Amino acid sequence: MVYQPACGARDILPLDVARQRWLEQRLERVFQSWGYQEIITPTIETLATLTAGGTVHPETVIQVQGNSDEPLGLRPELTASIARAAVTRMAGRQLPQRLYYKTNVFRRTTVAELGNQQEFFQAGVELLGATGLAADAEILWLVQECLGALAVEGAYLLVGDAHLTQQLLSPFPAELQKTVRQCLANLDRVSLQALPAPWRDRALALFDLRGTPKEVGERLAQWSDVAGVVDRFGELQQLLDLVAESLAITLDLSLVQSFDYYTGIIFEVLIPTETELRLVAQGGRYDQLLSIYHPDGATVPGIGFVFNVEALLQAIAIPPAALLAPRSQWLVVPRTTSALAAALHHAQTLRLDGSTRVELALLDLTPEQIRAYARDRQIPYIAWIESDAPPQIEALSDGATYLQIQSV
Amino acid sequence: MLTIALPKGALLKDSITYFQRVGLNFAALLEPGNRQLQVLSQDGRARALLVRAQDVPVYVQYGQAQLGIVGYDVLREKNPHVAKLADLGFGQCRLSVAVKASSPYRSARDLPPHCRVASKFVRCADAFFQQLDLPVDIVPLYGSVELGPITGMAEAIVDLVSTGRTLKENGLVELEQIFSSTAYLIAHPRSYRLNLNGLGNYVPQLIGAIA
Repeated sequence: MVYQPACGARDILPLDVARQRWLEQRLERVFQSWGYQEIITPTIETLATLTAGGTVHPETVIQVQGNSDEPLGLRPELTASIARAAVTRMAGRQLPQRLYYKTNVFRRTTVAELGNQQEFFQAGVELLGATGLAADAEILWLVQECLGALAVEGAYLLVGDAHLTQQLLSPFPAELQKTVRQCLANLDRVSLQALPAPWRDRALALFDLRGTPKEVGERLAQWSDVAGVVDRFGELQQLLDLVAESLAITLDLSLVQSFDYYTGIIFEVLIPTETELRLVAQGGRYDQLLSIYHPDGATVPGIGFVFNVEALLQAIAIPPAALLAPRSQWLVVPRTTSALAAALHHAQTLRLDGSTRVELALLDLTPEQIRAYARDRQIPYIAWIESDAPPQIEALSDGATYLQIQSV
Repeated sequence: MLTIALPKGALLKDSITYFQRVGLNFAALLEPGNRQLQVLSQDGRARALLVRAQDVPVYVQYGQAQLGIVGYDVLREKNPHVAKLADLGFGQCRLSVAVKASSPYRSARDLPPHCRVASKFVRCADAFFQQLDLPVDIVPLYGSVELGPITGMAEAIVDLVSTGRTLKENGLVELEQIFSSTAYLIAHPRSYRLNLNGLGNYVPQLIGAIA
């Protein structure tokens, strides 16, 4: 029998781990520099916690057998867990809370998507207990800073606003609102055309509310009689003005979801590659979510975003894995069995500075085979150890690689 | 460059005529003996991919094609994540339940529970019988579905009917229509939202060019 990873699961081998860590560390440094603190929540949550917010459907969760009667699942995202922790164990702490995470999530695939990935990595933040322009601006700036730290160019920021779209939907008869909203979320213009007049033309106009903030503002003029629209658009414009020009912003008022989860801005970050437009991050404001988890139903505003690590890895240029992967700088070779103790001591001395990587030669090889091994592993120095003589240092000729590695 | 996925088969000719109305000429695909799977428009501004009808929404969903033309039947069957921008009106047909003309059944409800129904449209067929609350075994086939009842492998079929000639010539009759279908203009959602590849320019023109 050949043991393979489960369908949709995969191993990440050292070179790929090096690439992934490179990326995560850059994101993490930015998160930390803005005062965010790491939180680790459980991989397993009750299904009730995972699905309470309304975005996660039980059939997309990989359910696991626990020892209680309560159905359990592997987390498909982190916001639910963080919301739960924030209003229970962290309740009463000074707000705002700035939290970040970098971890794996799981999604169940259907039979039709057989073999699709089931485990993903995400890195994201949640800013809890702060609302308004400043908090929204902080989040969009943070997204921008992260992309800057990864030297991403040409990214698109697609921004919607659930609040404004809800205001625009408010003149529609209640029974049509849900349909229109669903059509906007799924970009189904054909179904909107089947609506009765005069709602049909109004819905089609709403469908086209996208473009630069200026273009959308001009087209919104015909909606100025709807309560709150002018004020809300003003706030949105102010926010987008605060985001510097490194991101190409498209405002899209049909960027909504068919259910109420986001309550303010919604956004996606997309990076075009040669063959595809990759969704590398998404986020938004969810001011009602925490009240679902709060024991007394108290409202705590929240906003956050998440980077999809795999998509990001595929979309950006990363230094070659060979340069990122940690390499040993020394190979310590005991020449005889009796030299083993001396070799172990010498290797330990070399490691004293806390950063030097030293490995011990374990296999019984000829000196030439040992040199070949060191070259293959790009180890620049060999220390030959005899039991009662000082170590002999040999530098392998391609030391240039070593210097290169050090500079990354 | 704007890339458009066009379906091989019944919709191809009308699809090409439709794009000609906004100045994109892919007539090269219609030349007898054409074996190219992708061609540039005559003015070189856009590219067309020639793919099987069922694959059109796949290329559009993943964004390698930003626009596509596909029958509503395929959208119903595959439920892809694509923007449905317009009903183009051509390529009219219907998805129907049919049985042997000699069979006693006069409506889909008359079919015996647990009978076999052959179809290329397994999801649509399944949904239809679920909604009738009639348990049936759906047998997936890839073509010549009419042979199902003829050979006795299935009591009924669920298949696309345009003129009804194929059914008649094979001794089958249409019992019930599940839905009617026409060609749709579809788009890659995020390219459409971001107005990439000149979509913001072409889409209004294309919507205006519907006959």
